Amino acid sequence: MLIGIKDLHRVYQVGTEKVHALNGVTLDIEPNEYVAIMGPSGSGKSTLMNLIGCLDTPTSGSYRLKDHEIATMSDDELARIRNQEIGFVFQTFNLLSRADVLHNVELPLVYAGIKHEERRRRARETIELVGLTDRIKHKPNELSGGQRQRVAIARALVNKPSIILADEPTGNLDSHTGDEIMAAFLRIWQQGNTVILVTHESDIAAHAHRVVRMRDGKIESDVRQAPRLASGAAR
Amino acid sequence: MNLRESCGIALGALRANKLRSFLTLLGTIIGVMSVIAVLSFVEGLNRFVSDKLLNAGANVFYVDPYGFVTSQEAWEKVQDNPAITLDDGDALRGAVPHASSIVAQAETRGTARYRDKEVRAVSIHGRGAGYELIDDLAIGRGRHLTELDDQRRRMVCVVGSEIADELFPHTEALGKSIRLGAESYEIVGVIAAKGKLFGQSQDRFATIPIRTFQKFKQERGSFGLAIKSVDQASMPVAQQEVRNVLRGRRHLRPGQPDNFGITTSENVLELYRNLTGGIFVVTVGVAAISLLVGGIVIMNIMLVSVTERTREIGIRKAMGARRRDILTQFLVESTTLSISGGLIGIVVGVGLALLAGAVTPLPTAVSWPAVGLGIGMSAMIGIFFGSYPAWRAARLDPIEALRYE
Repeated sequence: MLIGIKDLHRVYQVGTEKVHALNGVTLDIEPNEYVAIMGPSGSGKSTLMNLIGCLDTPTSGSYRLKDHEIATMSDDELARIRNQEIGFVFQTFNLLSRADVLHNVELPLVYAGIKHEERRRRARETIELVGLTDRIKHKPNELSGGQRQRVAIARALVNKPSIILADEPTGNLDSHTGDEIMAAFLRIWQQGNTVILVTHESDIAAHAHRVVRMRDGKIESDVRQAPRLASGAAR
Repeated sequence: MNLRESCGIALGALRANKLRSFLTLLGTIIGVMSVIAVLSFVEGLNRFVSDKLLNAGANVFYVDPYGFVTSQEAWEKVQDNPAITLDDGDALRGAVPHASSIVAQAETRGTARYRDKEVRAVSIHGRGAGYELIDDLAIGRGRHLTELDDQRRRMVCVVGSEIADELFPHTEALGKSIRLGAESYEIVGVIAAKGKLFGQSQDRFATIPIRTFQKFKQERGSFGLAIKSVDQASMPVAQQEVRNVLRGRRHLRPGQPDNFGITTSENVLELYRNLTGGIFVVTVGVAAISLLVGGIVIMNIMLVSVTERTREIGIRKAMGARRRDILTQFLVESTTLSISGGLIGIVVGVGLALLAGAVTPLPTAVSWPAVGLGIGMSAMIGIFFGSYPAWRAARLDPIEALRYE
């Protein structure tokens, strides 16, 4: 078992009111699953994603990642887990605007303490994987949306994490480019990675072979399905 | 993450905002610049003083009625001291084994004339034989004044090169008679040129035998004695010997204070050090204020920078940056910023000092300890005033930072 979540609660204090963003979530994810987490806004899916991504810690409950208890970890331990185990892909790309493609991709390796030469080599390899070798010295604002998201994917992959965690990865892209990105996720999954996709679009969720629907901080349904092949996946 | 990475990130961020970085640095630049400029000036003075003033009269001390008076109170005590006479000088000669030369001297100002030419404001010295040992004077042409010139009260003089050049631009000065005041003196020697000190010529003088001086320029009044000891180590012994002889001549009992003064270049140097010490303290005060202001500006701009780059911090944290990575990044950035300011300040300060040295008579020399101090101070400012913004950055919540617009 890669991820073992048991009775997870997350309560925010908003003014004098307590908001139960997560209200007892239990979820197991095995290695090399392709999971979509769906739900309307306010359903708690972003909170769940933040917790899975070790950006946040739960109010109560247990989250075990590769048999390590995350819920009680310190800030720096969480940072190490994010660095080693999680590859983030965000809706708004979240690239460093002043840095070129190469530096953006090698960023997780910088914090992993990997030496300069090795870092460069691995970053170049990963950039080649997403087909951006000819853009390696470009800054994000010189790239199209699809290219930026491919840079973000390369950055997520470069440190060989256990989980690729994508938050509305096609939300800022046109449908054609979105298809390309989904094809990229499919390839990543086919290569043996675990992919967790957070989305509110059922079209996107259709690419996964397991869909977890959330509502009011709880899991409403957890369904395995035959994934739709993304157009362009045959490339 | 190592320091090199942090420096790279920091320099990149500074380059991205060149004008803002520069404006931020003005306070630091001005602070460091003023320290460097003033310390370079003081350093220049120091070297100048020790090179020219001290070496010229190495192992020399002076005896006069008053000594080195630095306050009104001290003056009141010594103002009635008896004059030093030429007899005092003669008595000392031969009675001070550790002195290599004892020269009586006095000075006045006057005009030197030859036919229709004249040089005004000439220092007219009366000096005993051996003066050239005291001041390390080299003869250019002719000869120095001798004991015999003195004994016979001859009407002869040696002149500085400037006097010779101005009165005799096209002819030989030796053997000519010039008027110093009312009397005529034959030039028997021209002293080799010494150049300028603080923009003032050291070659604008005429020296006549001390007894000739006594006869025509100063019938009464006190003389000074310049005494050179045989070497550095025997200076105190020679001073004690002089003191013993003079006290004996004046019948002073044990316990009575000296009614004459002995001045060494060390006394002069001490006063000089006090003066430059004052300059130093004022400069440090001014610099401290501008550095404080500079530091606050740096803190302000770093807070702005942290806010502007909240999202970047969020991204870095999501990618695995620990608190200390972010802290280091921003500390290195503020320190790089302040050190850049320090370096600019050093360059401008040194430039100013060298410029002042080139276009004014003020001596300047780059003070390397001051340069080190400048770099050290600016680094401290970066670390001190960068700490709070860096701490704020380090403890940002990654989720909120990522959401920040």
